[in-house]
Amino acid sequence: MDTALLIEWLIKSVILLFFGLTGFAYLTLLERRALARIQVRIGPNRAGPWGLLQPLADGIKLIFKEELIPPLADKPLFILSPILTVLPALIIWAVIPWGRQIVIAGREINLYLTDINVGVLYLTAVASIAVYGITLAGWSSNNKYALLGGLRSSAQMVSYELALGLAFLGPIMLAGSMSLVDIVEAQKNLWFVVPQFLGFIIFLLAGLAEVNRAPFDMPEAEQELTAGYHTEYSGMKFALFFMAEYIKMIAISAIAATLFLGGYRLPFIDLPPILDPVVLFIKIFVLVFGMIWVRATLPRLRYDRLMALGWKVLLPLALVNVFITAVIMVFTG
Amino acid sequence: MTDTTLVAEHPLLERFPEGVTPDERKGYEGFIVAADRLVEFATALRDEFGYDYLSSVTGVDYLPDGKMEVVYHAYKSTGGGALVFKVQVPRENPVVPSLVSVYPGADFQEREAWDLLGIRFEGHPNLKRILMWEGFAGHPLRKDWKEAYFEEEKKPFGSRWPGGAVHRAEDENPFGKNVVYPPDFDPEKWTPVGDEALYAGLREFKKDDDLKTEQVVVNLGPQHPSTHGVFRMVVTLDGETVVRLEPVMGYLHRNHEKIGERNTYLMNIPFTDRLDYLSSMSNNWGYVQAVEKLLGDKIQVPERAEYLRVIMAEFTRIVNHIFAIGTLLNDLGAYFTPMLYALEERELILDIFEAVSGSRMMCNYFRFGGVARDLPPGVYEKMRDLVFERLPRKIDELDRYLTENEVVRARCEGVGVLTPEEAIAFSAAGPVLRASGVPYDVRRADPYGIYDRFEFDVAVRYHGDVYDRYLIRLDEIRQSIRILQQALDQLPEGDVIFGSPKYSMRVPAGEAYGRVEGPKGELGFYVVSDGSANPWRYHVRAPSFINLTALSRMCEGDKVADAIIILGSIDIVLGETDR
Repeated sequence: MDTALLIEWLIKSVILLFFGLTGFAYLTLLERRALARIQVRIGPNRAGPWGLLQPLADGIKLIFKEELIPPLADKPLFILSPILTVLPALIIWAVIPWGRQIVIAGREINLYLTDINVGVLYLTAVASIAVYGITLAGWSSNNKYALLGGLRSSAQMVSYELALGLAFLGPIMLAGSMSLVDIVEAQKNLWFVVPQFLGFIIFLLAGLAEVNRAPFDMPEAEQELTAGYHTEYSGMKFALFFMAEYIKMIAISAIAATLFLGGYRLPFIDLPPILDPVVLFIKIFVLVFGMIWVRATLPRLRYDRLMALGWKVLLPLALVNVFITAVIMVFTG
Repeated sequence: MTDTTLVAEHPLLERFPEGVTPDERKGYEGFIVAADRLVEFATALRDEFGYDYLSSVTGVDYLPDGKMEVVYHAYKSTGGGALVFKVQVPRENPVVPSLVSVYPGADFQEREAWDLLGIRFEGHPNLKRILMWEGFAGHPLRKDWKEAYFEEEKKPFGSRWPGGAVHRAEDENPFGKNVVYPPDFDPEKWTPVGDEALYAGLREFKKDDDLKTEQVVVNLGPQHPSTHGVFRMVVTLDGETVVRLEPVMGYLHRNHEKIGERNTYLMNIPFTDRLDYLSSMSNNWGYVQAVEKLLGDKIQVPERAEYLRVIMAEFTRIVNHIFAIGTLLNDLGAYFTPMLYALEERELILDIFEAVSGSRMMCNYFRFGGVARDLPPGVYEKMRDLVFERLPRKIDELDRYLTENEVVRARCEGVGVLTPEEAIAFSAAGPVLRASGVPYDVRRADPYGIYDRFEFDVAVRYHGDVYDRYLIRLDEIRQSIRILQQALDQLPEGDVIFGSPKYSMRVPAGEAYGRVEGPKGELGFYVVSDGSANPWRYHVRAPSFINLTALSRMCEGDKVADAIIILGSIDIVLGETDR
């Protein structure tokens, strides 16, 4: 392994992390502004032009906040769990391709960190780790709201991960590969959302539940559980949970774009590879905006109905979807 | 009100030849029942005479006579005037049989009377303090009870600068020396009686504790985003299911009634604004109505003032209901959008309140014999525009966005059901009662003001669940708009107040119960006058407070998320609940 490759990876990792973190910061701003417009309000517009410095101000505020740890909390776990939540959200980006090859100074550079041949498997595996962070946060806080939030969260994620995993199967079968780059390339002419429309819908619903966004934000249901699993967290540790949620929002949108919406590619048009990240960015933006829109529009489901939806509707539908896809593929070759 | 001439030959007197006598004090009405016949009397009243709805229970301390009186106001749920009955017991150690077994709605009110007046209700299942805590010495509404910074018995107080030197009550009685606990009470060692489960969750768990419990006690509140203020629900949960729920209140208690008895009659009008601070106009009306009943013929409300009262009260209803719908949706987890849409309309109505009264929420607009000011120029046109153009459109819009929403329906339908029989028994009022299929609206059942002139329907829904309590508020807003349209069309010219505005007035001795259909339910004011410048007794029948009696019944067996929306659907305001 040569040094140049190491440096290349390093630079790409830094860029990815940087994108993840600024993405998080500005997503909070976007969410607050967009929600405000939907709700006949104005939203934060004081810090910098159009409130652009607001995330910075928030960050500074949170860093300087006192960090409280409840005396009866399980201290090691209490500190570990925000980290455990935010890490998967960041490392999930390793396999998401954001472009083809570009040439800089005579060196061919792939616009993705790595293309492992079990990329989709990696996604599901890493996404599942995050639930530990949330459950442990709920457990270690020694607070009933937090515990209920943590329990809801684990139950919810276990039920929705199945449907999510089965929704992954459609694109895998169509592309014949688990590598995300292969899946994107297979959508050169036809986005998988067309043959896999049902799969796409299941993916969106399960994805919303996976990242705990409204109307599936059961684990932190403000009206019932005050703040759910992060009730006892303050300062930067709270910010980490927040960060994880928003980075996961971006990640799940990126995965949806990659698996179903042609990733960094546009159909029929061949853009220069340097524009690939822009294409992907636009798709992510649209999906993320959709999530914000849903949050501003819908009330929350009740917990038991959410479970019923997961097990009795989404899971059978996902299985049927896999079955139909398989049958069609066998008959059409 | 009962027709006093009929009291003497009321069939009740035949039914109870002993133990029931007409109340013959001047200015008083109803019957005086012997304490030992009370339960029998109430049962007969409910089952044989049809007075199935116990509106108000309260006590009066007649210190000079050495008597304590408990006053009951019962109504027929089919409409009509009140039947007032009273029980008189000696002031020292007053004991009255509890009516909870006959009228479950007496539960909280009897606890309140015990708490504030020290009247013991024998047979009450859970007789403990409700608004004060256990460490409070004495019963503050008793006339011989003095507060820590007691100055004088009645307002207006004498000068605080006698001879130019500032005199402050707190100098004579510095903080720390004025805290009194009941004898045999040690705040350091105190644990609440009878609700250990309530505090079990605050306890530190030790290794040898039995942790194999399957039920969890969760305190929802007093600081909780969805309790609409400092209100606490102690919920025993089995998983996510509510096994038992006990409301705990009084965090905002300021003894409104004691202060009201110190005030002069006029001073209480702005004070009623602070009860249900979302609908101050209706509160004003309830109080003003009670005092006007006492004043009798001495005062006549001019025509224009009557119309302005109706207009303001109906606007208040719209403000309150639209806000209630917004917060209910918030409780459902809709992230503030419906709430802010509702608030936009509310602000426009508050603009009108501000124009007529000078204040958006604490309006202080009603006066004895009229209202404070006439409409400023331009406001009439503004109201017309709202009532005929904007509000109907916006209410339809809200309806279209929310009513058929899948999630709203799934969350609300069949949740927190209250049957009509239960609703009446628990003395539920307002939208809670009418959503359970009881078409009882004070504006129709016992018309006050000029409500008998308007055409409107009493909104009623029949399922008694959260969804119907949401729908009924929409219906009532539509009916309010109907009334407003008629009132604005008919609004006559003329004076807005009887005579000239007066600072102080002589109110003849007697008692009166004024009640209006407030947005949250029947809002009653029971005022006793001894002929002086201050009321002898000033009691508020707060709908938010009494509607909560049915809360635990509605919540048991539902999920914890349902308990939140059931509370939201009752629509309480803590300023009124805790008083």
